[in-house]
Amino acid sequence: MVALIDAEQAPILARPYYAGEGPPSPITASLAHVPEVLEATLPFVGRILGPTAIDLRAKEIVILRTSALMECRYCVEAHTTVALDSGLSVGEVCALRGEREVEAVFTNRDELALISWVDEVALGRGAAPEDITARAREVMGDPELVEMTLVVAATLMLNRYCSALGLPTSAATLARLAEEGLA
Amino acid sequence: MTAMAGAIARGEVGGRLWFYANYHCNLRCTYCLTESAPEVTRRELGREQIVERAREGRELGFTALGVTGGEPFVLEYMPELIAALGSELPTIVLSNATVFNDRRLREMEPLADLPVQVQISLDRPDPDDNDAMRGPENFRKVVEAVPKLVERGIGVRIATTLEDPDAADPHEMERLCDLHRSMGIPDEDHVVRPIISRGRAMSNDMGVLAGFEQLEPELTLTADGAFYSPFAPTVRGGELDTDLLVSRTTKPVREPAEMLARIAGSRPAGNDASIGIR
Repeated sequence: MVALIDAEQAPILARPYYAGEGPPSPITASLAHVPEVLEATLPFVGRILGPTAIDLRAKEIVILRTSALMECRYCVEAHTTVALDSGLSVGEVCALRGEREVEAVFTNRDELALISWVDEVALGRGAAPEDITARAREVMGDPELVEMTLVVAATLMLNRYCSALGLPTSAATLARLAEEGLA
Repeated sequence: MTAMAGAIARGEVGGRLWFYANYHCNLRCTYCLTESAPEVTRRELGREQIVERAREGRELGFTALGVTGGEPFVLEYMPELIAALGSELPTIVLSNATVFNDRRLREMEPLADLPVQVQISLDRPDPDDNDAMRGPENFRKVVEAVPKLVERGIGVRIATTLEDPDAADPHEMERLCDLHRSMGIPDEDHVVRPIISRGRAMSNDMGVLAGFEQLEPELTLTADGAFYSPFAPTVRGGELDTDLLVSRTTKPVREPAEMLARIAGSRPAGNDASIGIR
């Protein structure tokens, strides 16, 4: 759909985002077409989806669940491996991907409330129903609720971006998925 | 003083704001940075857009303007545009001087009263050698056009582009200088620079490499965005090079100007326009 810019053609302001080992992610390599947008987007996404006061396991529940609801192939594949690395089991990953019943796998009250909140934010229209909001408020204070809601919103943005542009999953991710039986 | 004026005054950023008026050209030079030719997409920046950005550039503290392409003078409005730019700031326009018929020359006459120079390419003192790189009849057209511009009081510079200026035959260079002097162009208005290995020159294995470290930062606006230098928005294999792209945003000019200043400030100490490309 769009050309991915390699390191040789990376604009000057995009080069710091190419500095890691291996090729840049397709998100970086596509955003590099517009360096001023890349400069704003990648720190924003990194801050919201990366380490904060909320632990990575909870964030990956949100990201993977949202991506599965939005049927974003790229994000589901990429975050399946991240979720496994964040401590989620294969069964939990399958449940978040919609391949198993969530309630059959997740038993923690906080995580079940979080998944309900994610489902509502990602798929709902208008204000959230009172019962789902109340359930979320029982397990999340204002800071957590704000941040988790923003994680869903940022993931939705990336889901549409990656799906619409048909970004390719890296060979390394595909190999890992095959190895885990999650391809 | 604006931030850009300060960066220019400190020598961190070049004072000239460049515009790529277009990408198409009536010639197909062997070392062209932009693979320009008659059939390529025009990709015009636009007359009003250029004037608007030039005015903002002056307010930001830029001290001069430059227009290049493609061949700018294949655009009908170019004489009027250059006059408008020359009314804002000292302006240089790069041309192959092969489209200056009598009507065009008449349209250019107002430029004589303005701080405007037309920089014309002339590479070799012999027609065959020159035209091998620049195309048939190029030499004849240039040596006919330059005196006509000079007669009209229009400022002219001659730009000579060579594979390796340091290795140039001194006798040949002397004959070239005799030629430009005979056309009324003094030595101070003759620049000699190397072919830059980008665009068609790179495809043809010509020229010296020039990247971020070798080029002076000079904000350059094109239809495709803002670039680090007029030697940056190059095309190879039909694809625009993005390695020296600053931003896709060109308006307001302040935005790419600030980004360029930030980039220039990140260059390692001691790096400057070390290959003397002017």
